Amino acid sequence: MREYPVLAGLSVVVVLALELAWMRTGLLARRAYWSTMVIVYAFMVPVDGWLTRLNDPVVSYRPDRVSGWRPIWDILAEEYLYAFSLLTAVLLLWERQAS
Amino acid sequence: MSVERLHYLGVLVACVLVTLPLEFLFGARVWRRPVRMLRAVAPVALVFLVWDVWATRRGTWWFDEHQTLGLVVPGGLPVEELAFFVVIPVCALLTLEAVRNVRRGTTPLQRWWAER
Repeated sequence: MREYPVLAGLSVVVVLALELAWMRTGLLARRAYWSTMVIVYAFMVPVDGWLTRLNDPVVSYRPDRVSGWRPIWDILAEEYLYAFSLLTAVLLLWERQAS
Repeated sequence: MSVERLHYLGVLVACVLVTLPLEFLFGARVWRRPVRMLRAVAPVALVFLVWDVWATRRGTWWFDEHQTLGLVVPGGLPVEELAFFVVIPVCALLTLEAVRNVRRGTTPLQRWWAER
């Protein structure tokens, strides 16, 4: 099974469900959130690009467990889903604590 | 020890250093609100670390031993992975707070500029 993209996609659904059904911070409707994600993704490209570069990777993947699609440099497409879930979950938990 | 072993750690240190101005010049106050920061970071890190340990044990992904310190934590992950799940989300938090402050005009940098 293409484990990584499947779980990464699932993680996005879980995070969105947590926000919509439970946390309800409204963060995803705020421009500051989307500006943040644009900036973070911009930095993700060089950082993750360097970590997953194919010529001498810090992180390697078993080919049959990933999509194999590396549209920007050598970064797997599903990494962007993973990043979305990881970062949005933390941002939501931060936001939830706002006084 | 070769410089290569510092590769993964080095990237994370660079992320911390590059975003430090957000904490101070842009008044993000994330590192200076450690309880709120940990309450946001820790639960998510826990979930992702469980996923990470499972995937690493299954051989879905692995880490180059030549580019990590060689310190492995229970579960089989390099210690840098633990740091990753703190550093990267904190960078996002710093960015969120900095963006907000800039839009409100409340950053120390903007105040300094207005009063210079």
